[in-house]
Amino acid sequence: MKKILAFILTMGLGALVIISLSNNEFFPEFGMADLTERVSIEYITKGSALDVIFNQTNNPESGPANIVTSIVIDYRSFDTLGEVTVLFISSLGIALLLGGAAIPKRLDLNFKPNFMLRVGSRALFSIIIMTGVYVISHGHLTPGGGFPGGTMIASAFLLLYLADDQFRAKIKGFKIMESIAGSLYVIIGLIGLILADQFLENFLPNGTVGVLISSGILPVVYILIGLKVGSEISGIIDHFLTEEEVL
Amino acid sequence: MIQYAAILLIFIGLYGLLTNRNIIKIIISLNIIEIGLNIFIISIGFVFDGIAPIMTSVNNSSALIYVDPVPQALVLTAIVIGVGTTALGLALAKNIHSKYKTLEIDEVEES
Amino acid sequence: MMNPIFLIAFPLLAAFLSILSKKLAPVLLLLIALLNTVMAIFIPMGIVGIGGFSFPYGINLYVDTYAQIGLLLVNGLFTVIAILNIKKYKAYSSVLLVALTGLNGLLLTGDLFNLFVFLEISGIAAYLITSSNKKPLSTFHYLVMGSVGSSLYLFGLIILYSMFGTLNFMDMIHQIQVASIDYTDLILPFFMMFVGLGVEAKLLPFNSWVKGVLKHSNTLSGPMVAGVYAAAISLVLGRLIHNLFLFEGKLYLVVVVLLVFGIVLGEAMAFASDDVKEILLYSSISQACITALLFVHGVIIWAVYLIIANGISKTLMFLVTNRAEEQTGNAKMDSLQGLFSNNKVIGIAFTIAALSVIGMPLFAGFVIKLNYLTVLAHLDQLVVIAIILLSSIVEGIYFIRLLIKLWYPKDTDIEPIKFHLSYKIILGLMAAVLLVFGTYSAPLNQLDNSIDQVSEEIEVIFHG
Repeated sequence: MKKILAFILTMGLGALVIISLSNNEFFPEFGMADLTERVSIEYITKGSALDVIFNQTNNPESGPANIVTSIVIDYRSFDTLGEVTVLFISSLGIALLLGGAAIPKRLDLNFKPNFMLRVGSRALFSIIIMTGVYVISHGHLTPGGGFPGGTMIASAFLLLYLADDQFRAKIKGFKIMESIAGSLYVIIGLIGLILADQFLENFLPNGTVGVLISSGILPVVYILIGLKVGSEISGIIDHFLTEEEVL
Repeated sequence: MIQYAAILLIFIGLYGLLTNRNIIKIIISLNIIEIGLNIFIISIGFVFDGIAPIMTSVNNSSALIYVDPVPQALVLTAIVIGVGTTALGLALAKNIHSKYKTLEIDEVEES
Repeated sequence: MMNPIFLIAFPLLAAFLSILSKKLAPVLLLLIALLNTVMAIFIPMGIVGIGGFSFPYGINLYVDTYAQIGLLLVNGLFTVIAILNIKKYKAYSSVLLVALTGLNGLLLTGDLFNLFVFLEISGIAAYLITSSNKKPLSTFHYLVMGSVGSSLYLFGLIILYSMFGTLNFMDMIHQIQVASIDYTDLILPFFMMFVGLGVEAKLLPFNSWVKGVLKHSNTLSGPMVAGVYAAAISLVLGRLIHNLFLFEGKLYLVVVVLLVFGIVLGEAMAFASDDVKEILLYSSISQACITALLFVHGVIIWAVYLIIANGISKTLMFLVTNRAEEQTGNAKMDSLQGLFSNNKVIGIAFTIAALSVIGMPLFAGFVIKLNYLTVLAHLDQLVVIAIILLSSIVEGIYFIRLLIKLWYPKDTDIEPIKFHLSYKIILGLMAAVLLVFGTYSAPLNQLDNSIDQVSEEIEVIFHG
């Protein structure tokens, strides 16, 4: 009875929302979005009257060839700082909630991995780390960047955890790396305040669009984000796979 | 059309949230709501005949027709925030299980 | 020279560094909280850009008198709670630093998506603070409702983005004014955003998380959630309601009905309860609904004063009740009978706070209530006035009943409860503020509705 009531309620609300949106003349149809009416056109043309050409334009307003990267860590860099903080406090919270065990040891799962798995995973580990580093460092030229790259690094550690039931990574090292990477991001912002005029302003020259060494401090920021995300998610994985404390 | 399918997904997730009693299923319903929301955000940025907003040696000018890059940047942030919340929810589920030995919210006595 | 970004950047830097050393973390927390309160006094006004880009293409912060009052209140109450709790809850120092970042960011930001991010930051910090109650199911309930609320807010915001093409707060208001749009097209996104913020602000009917969290609270989570967070979210909601939403027509009716229900239900449940914390939490719910109702009708300055008075009173009352509960084991009215007969100073402070909430003469609550009822009468809102007066009478009954029970001990003695000297000094000061502004209320009349300068700023940017 309760399920039927909930079904009618949610489907009714959904139908109401859909009808309201389709009657709204300001809400564009699927695919009919006009970018010249939105702020996005300024992000694409990088604020200049001339066209931006790959491998030719020198010192544009924002360096990366990947326009989404230029929005995430240049134009709206403050939002990314907030997002990094959300991951930080989630990881801190999990350490608070699950970290009470006096002597941490691995959770006892009911499978025993065999020899091939253990050896093969170590070989695969280095390849995954290399892919992650590539994705992080080319974030301003190709799709990817700090967040997917950091998750790839964390998944390499997850592989080691799953393949070997006695493996524990060095949690202390992860905590130090996470703390230093985060502080460096805020400190880069404050240096931007001192050297240039505003917080998180890009104070190194932007170079040519499309070259690996370009866009000022942005590749550095992405590398810091990648390291931070990787170490945080690895820390979370470790906390989940430890023996629970007796409450 | 895709926009309306995404809204339907949000409300299916809401239905799951209202009727489920198992904590893991509640977390999964929350995730479905967030996935529906992310698909909706991306779908409002689509432009017919637009290409991905990355300048390469083939698409090398900023005068071509691109898809809207702003919703993609917003979704990047929203996905990460969803991951943080889900991880916290699962840690709380682990705590509830070790304290009350059950994962159904009807059986837990917390007045 | 002071930049408002320091109020956000310094706590964040301290939070990142504080996980390296467990011993230094509480020291950092107290230092940064005090530094923030002092910096909030000297903050410069106006728009501050971030990232070095021109007006609507980057993110900017916005400071006016409204924001400055909010910053002083939130940082001050936070410092008080941190000082009184630092000995027992050392492990939560890093979480509290991130919470401070989130709350300051909420009050300062001028961009709507940035508001969403800071809402999530403060929300997750709040879930972790409430996890100190050791009741994981209540925290889980809070987490689910908070996430659904934030998702609804983002949904409404994205609809607005696809209609007007911008995410900046002032740019959005300007675009809505210039476009000749029918208000019915805006009902859906505005309602979604209002509901999203309403979950965190304890408005009906999305406040089912409040009972679980505040009923089992302790001296850290109770005052934080009911005092500091309530004040910050009400101020943010007020700024959005007054400048962006501008309810009219059917939506106005729906919102007013919901809020009035919230007031009535809150007072009724408080009247029917015999547990001190339940009384306080239901009273918080109805006061939050009253504040939102005042913002809907444009009574800005008295709503802000009401937020300040409620913030101080509720923090005080929750601190006293939770401290007493720590030593006796539960918070039912009968077990705490005669609490104040041994603790005169605390008793007087609590009494002042309670009488101020009811609106007795001689206390700040009376002046505020008189003034906002007068303004509502000018606007011909007679039904609303009647409901508020009725609920004040109910409030008076249950608070006075509570006070009588707490002052006069019955035959069975309870063990004497000790309050530290620091408690007495700080709580005494807070109560003194309420007393002073109740008797000498002329300075309150110097500020008026123009503390919220957003519309003037938009005039300057786009037409100046």
